[in-house]
Amino acid sequence: MSKDAFSNHPITPEELPQVNSQSFTPLSNTYIKVNLMCRLVFWLMVVSALLIIYWQPWITLHKLLELYLPQVQLAAGGFGLLSSVYGILADKNKGYAIREHDFSYRSGVIFQSVVSQPILRIQHVELKHGPIDRHFGLASLEIFSAGGAMHTFAIPGLPEEKAREIRSYVLTHSDIAAND
Amino acid sequence: MTSYQNQWLKLSPVAIVYFAVQFIKTIGNNLFYLLPAIFVGYNQFSENALIIISGLGALLVFVAISALLKFYFYQYRLSEGRVQIHSGVFQKTHIDLPFERIQNVRFEQPIFYRPTNHVCMLLDTAGSNKLEAKIIALPKNIAESLKQEILAYKTENTHEANDQEPQTNEEQLLNSRSMRDLVIHGLASNRIWIVLGALAPFFNSLSEKFVKGIESFGVDVDALMASSQYAFWQYVLFFFSIAFVVIALMALISILGSVITFYDFKLTRSDDRYIRRNGLFTRHEVVMKLSRLQMIALQQNWLDRALQRVNLKFEQLNANLERQSAGTSGGKIIVPSVTLEEAHNLATETWPNNQLSSINYNPVSKRLAIRNTLIAFWLFVPLAAVLTYFEKTELATASIAAFILSTAFIILSWKRRGYAIDDNFIYLRKGLIGVSYRCFPIHKVQQTTFSQSWFMRRFQLCSVKFVLASGGQTLPFINARIGEELIDSCLYQVEALKKSWM
Repeated sequence: MSKDAFSNHPITPEELPQVNSQSFTPLSNTYIKVNLMCRLVFWLMVVSALLIIYWQPWITLHKLLELYLPQVQLAAGGFGLLSSVYGILADKNKGYAIREHDFSYRSGVIFQSVVSQPILRIQHVELKHGPIDRHFGLASLEIFSAGGAMHTFAIPGLPEEKAREIRSYVLTHSDIAAND
Repeated sequence: MTSYQNQWLKLSPVAIVYFAVQFIKTIGNNLFYLLPAIFVGYNQFSENALIIISGLGALLVFVAISALLKFYFYQYRLSEGRVQIHSGVFQKTHIDLPFERIQNVRFEQPIFYRPTNHVCMLLDTAGSNKLEAKIIALPKNIAESLKQEILAYKTENTHEANDQEPQTNEEQLLNSRSMRDLVIHGLASNRIWIVLGALAPFFNSLSEKFVKGIESFGVDVDALMASSQYAFWQYVLFFFSIAFVVIALMALISILGSVITFYDFKLTRSDDRYIRRNGLFTRHEVVMKLSRLQMIALQQNWLDRALQRVNLKFEQLNANLERQSAGTSGGKIIVPSVTLEEAHNLATETWPNNQLSSINYNPVSKRLAIRNTLIAFWLFVPLAAVLTYFEKTELATASIAAFILSTAFIILSWKRRGYAIDDNFIYLRKGLIGVSYRCFPIHKVQQTTFSQSWFMRRFQLCSVKFVLASGGQTLPFINARIGEELIDSCLYQVEALKKSWM
């Protein structure tokens, strides 16, 4: 047992620290922009692939397909735009909060959720950055608990600097040290 | 310390049988997919009997040689608190496993090990299942002492200062299952219906075969059905008696399965360990450290309710999801078909101050039922309207009936939902016709989730999820304020008490 100053004040339910009254830090603006760009590029590719199919001279298309292809293109384009707009909203709603003993991550527009991960229960931490993330200096922080891969706690779109800071905060945290 | 330390050891020769059986099993599993082809080509096979038989002979020789080789190349060593295993003929595998990484020690005793009293020792690690080590054949007494050594290793390491009293080897019997209990378990477990479901695609061809079979005895089924010499009720009786025979047969299979898996079931406790032993042909032994236990679940399906029995499950780590089959799973300890009283005794024995049997459950919001009914409504009623429009009255009626039925089930399942909390534990209840109760210590929670949809926010409701090392538990549609309190006090207990979860 550690020989810290022992305290044992009574705590009433009203005095407990509250998860939902924390102020959440929104994700970085770069992340939102990069995400938007990725989505737009993806849908642009879908629409242009459909266009190529429509205009290409080599294969004659089935009549039904030829008749409805323009509508499909329009629908794909419209859906792409809508989902991109929704994506901006969703990304703006994402945010994280760090307390002395736990992390929380908030997300969702219609279905909102707040996931909280006590630092004491962290098994290991991973920094992930794909090629696009790396180019923009972003990283996502993945935190694994014994709950299994299904319940990985992840904060995406952190500036790389910040992500490293949080990771070292976790690794040097007294709760983790006490756990070993 | 034992004398076999620090040198490479060979297995007992019995292991050759094990390797051979293992090999035949894998071949058998692959052959399973070829079965239809074999049946189709049966005639050709019978013409070339000689070739087939010599082929089988060659296969047997091959099996024998490969088993011998595998036996020859398998060696293990125990040294300095670690197990090392070298195995493989062409593809070598080297396993090096420190004792403290071993989560669980299990024994398996296939039927051919029994005369020589050998066991197969399985060493589970947390996390990946790739690192599972298996010492194929050990004499029982050596395996037993080795197990003590491995399990004692950790405690030795942590409590080196205060001289621990020697491990008491006394095992206290907590529960055993009699033949009668196993028969009840076989009857009540749903495996009958799973078998029936799996057979469903073949019903058509089976019944054709059946009719042809009868016809080959000189009975003309069509004429029998068409003739007016039997009254309608006789056909009904005939149908029911056949159905009865089929169900009785299935029940018998299920009882047999239950007896084979759980024969001579014993749950014992030695210090802080629970040990489960069961099996008719292959004896299984699972050891669980009490501190690794994450959740106690009591499950009753409708038949269990009628028979006043309950299946009790001790759930630990979730690492071996893939290996979870009926009675052989590594992670769970299931005590089949105990009476309510026995179940509660076991639960109190394990976690003395839990109130699984006495606590009152709070209901969840009725909006859960309303939302699900609305979903069912939009699924079935417009469909019924469209069907009526196209004058398919029967289908429309069926759709409406489906809506009414699902509404009934939705209300039933809402009624079953419940939750309760005391100083140390959270209790959850759910079910449909059957019911299941779960109970877990608050300090073992790994992660919490608070979620709300737009509608739930309007009615100040929320769903809460607690993630344990054995999996996630969801509590839907409770008052948002209560949900927040649950999460806050849960996080507080985890972070302030700093108790270990394993």
